[in-house]
Amino acid sequence: MAHTFHTPRYGFLIDASKCIDCRTCMVSCSVENNVSMETTRIWIKETGVTGTFPDLSRYTAPYHCMHCVDPSCVSACTVGALQRTEDGIVMYDNEICIGCRYCMYACPFDVPNYEWEEQLPLVVKCDMCFSRLEEGQQPACAQTCPTGAIQFGKYEDMRALAHQMINENPDKYVDHVYGEEENGGTATLYISPVPFEELGFPIAGTTSPAYSNRLVTEGTPLVAGAMLVGLSGAYLTIKNEKEEAEEERRLAEQEKVAVGEENSHAS
Amino acid sequence: MLRKLVHELTTLPKYIYVFAAITAFGLSIGIYRMYAGLGVTTNLSKAFPWGIWISFDLATVALSGGAFTLAALVYVLHFESLHAAVRPTVLAGLLGYSSVLVILLFDLGRWDRFYNVFFHPNFSSALLEVSWCIAAYSSILFYELSPVLLENSRWRRFLPVIKKYTIPIVIAGVTLSTMHQSSLGTMFVIMSPRLHPLWYSMILPIFFLVSSLAAGISLVIAGATISYWLFGRSLKIKILAKLGWFLPWLLSFYLVLKFGELLIAGELDLLFSSGTYSVLFWAELIIGFFIPIGLFALKRVRTSRKASLFGALMIMAGVILNRFDVTWFGMNPVDGETYAPHWMEVAILVGVVAGIITVYSLVARYFPIYEETELYRPERPVNELSRLERAPASGD
Repeated sequence: MAHTFHTPRYGFLIDASKCIDCRTCMVSCSVENNVSMETTRIWIKETGVTGTFPDLSRYTAPYHCMHCVDPSCVSACTVGALQRTEDGIVMYDNEICIGCRYCMYACPFDVPNYEWEEQLPLVVKCDMCFSRLEEGQQPACAQTCPTGAIQFGKYEDMRALAHQMINENPDKYVDHVYGEEENGGTATLYISPVPFEELGFPIAGTTSPAYSNRLVTEGTPLVAGAMLVGLSGAYLTIKNEKEEAEEERRLAEQEKVAVGEENSHAS
Repeated sequence: MLRKLVHELTTLPKYIYVFAAITAFGLSIGIYRMYAGLGVTTNLSKAFPWGIWISFDLATVALSGGAFTLAALVYVLHFESLHAAVRPTVLAGLLGYSSVLVILLFDLGRWDRFYNVFFHPNFSSALLEVSWCIAAYSSILFYELSPVLLENSRWRRFLPVIKKYTIPIVIAGVTLSTMHQSSLGTMFVIMSPRLHPLWYSMILPIFFLVSSLAAGISLVIAGATISYWLFGRSLKIKILAKLGWFLPWLLSFYLVLKFGELLIAGELDLLFSSGTYSVLFWAELIIGFFIPIGLFALKRVRTSRKASLFGALMIMAGVILNRFDVTWFGMNPVDGETYAPHWMEVAILVGVVAGIITVYSLVARYFPIYEETELYRPERPVNELSRLERAPASGD
């Protein structure tokens, strides 16, 4: 199976230096998508308070689905409820999800959330407010962010902007666009004044675990076919050998009887 | 008819009622979980979306591997002397798999649409493969067991047809088992960021397959020994010794792969430097692998019922611990969150296990499960489990 991974059409650029932890994004997301504040699609990662008084600092950044180019959740989902669209949006179909929660363990960014308190719960995750996109609007979080920490636009533009901002302010930002390489590339990009580990971002590899998963799962039909042939072969070979041995034993016995009879005739 | 039923019920051994009551309690908690959702009945969280249920499922499937190991040995490789163990092992396997299916239904958030597994398959999902294989293999185990259920009934005329297709069905069953035993390992291949490197590996499917073979053989040995004590029915110790002979080879093969993989991945330093993880890792390997290799390498152990039962139980404990490590203890916590099961999670599990024991006892009471085994104490008829005081182990 050939897998082609087109670059995303849309992208976020989130600037941790501009986030003031006001949580407007969380509220607007909750209202727009009708999800409870208990189980949100977007939340805040933070460094905690660092430094010694009076030089204290604390950085925060909104955090939601990274919209991977090669998403582990899509690879893992038992029923294909998670899919990546043409535009590079990782979408969740709440009509077919069976609630196995494999996506939650598979996601290297710990993104999928779950409605634990519901009787018949569903997964909660960002879909880039795709219905707003269709109307030519920005996702709710980007639209409402008062400081412009969340920017949204064409992926290539966001990526160029990220590098431009780092190049223009090398003292302000660490030289790392989080999401450019992480997990094989993601549509959500971050720049930050502090290393991303300090913000509590996972240290992701440059290849998606979905790749390892495909390596193994796609070999399965082959292994199964080989097993079927091998087992049938083993069964028939051993059976045949046993029958031949039996036949030989029978012939030898017959011969012995014949020889015995001859001897008794001769005497 | 009714009087017969009442009579039957009153003559049932008391322990069956005890286990049936525990089952009923567990299942009613299960129904409450369906009604109330996962939040109030479990301690599952965003950081630990899977809990003790999944650990139980994986351990049970590994132990139920006895059924396919034995089927492969008896039907495919023609080890006819092991034939007598097939019925009890297949029954145990069928009940093991059924309990996994029941627990999975409790585990699914949207249990009301579990059938989407069949209508919306995603073929790159290891979990899909596992669920299809388990569903198909449970039906195959039922097929393998059906002659036992039909033998003394008016449907016995179907027996020749059933027996005619046994071999192809068994071969399909062994293939399905090989696939899902390994796919259960594949499920964790995608979790490289979460699972501790002492357990994470690209060849987890092979680890899972090999350890399920060892656990399965151990289940056959342990089952035969326990039924010897309980019902005076068992396999000849010579045959058990033959099964035990495979174990050191299988377990050593596993160890070579395990340490080879850690060596190649350059993770040998983690063996002693990972705190609790290191302790769990060594506990698993020493209990389930190193000591049993030493034990089963000795002929003295293989030909002793007591010693081989001890060795088999150690292997089973080691493999169960391995599955718990991979699914639970070995998962790196997220944001410092940890998981310990809610009492209702445990109650449902205990209920399901009690259910297995109840159904096994009832089937063994009314159907010829042990008929082909050697009878060691003829004064103790096998279908008469009512006097179930432990018989002294009198040796062969």
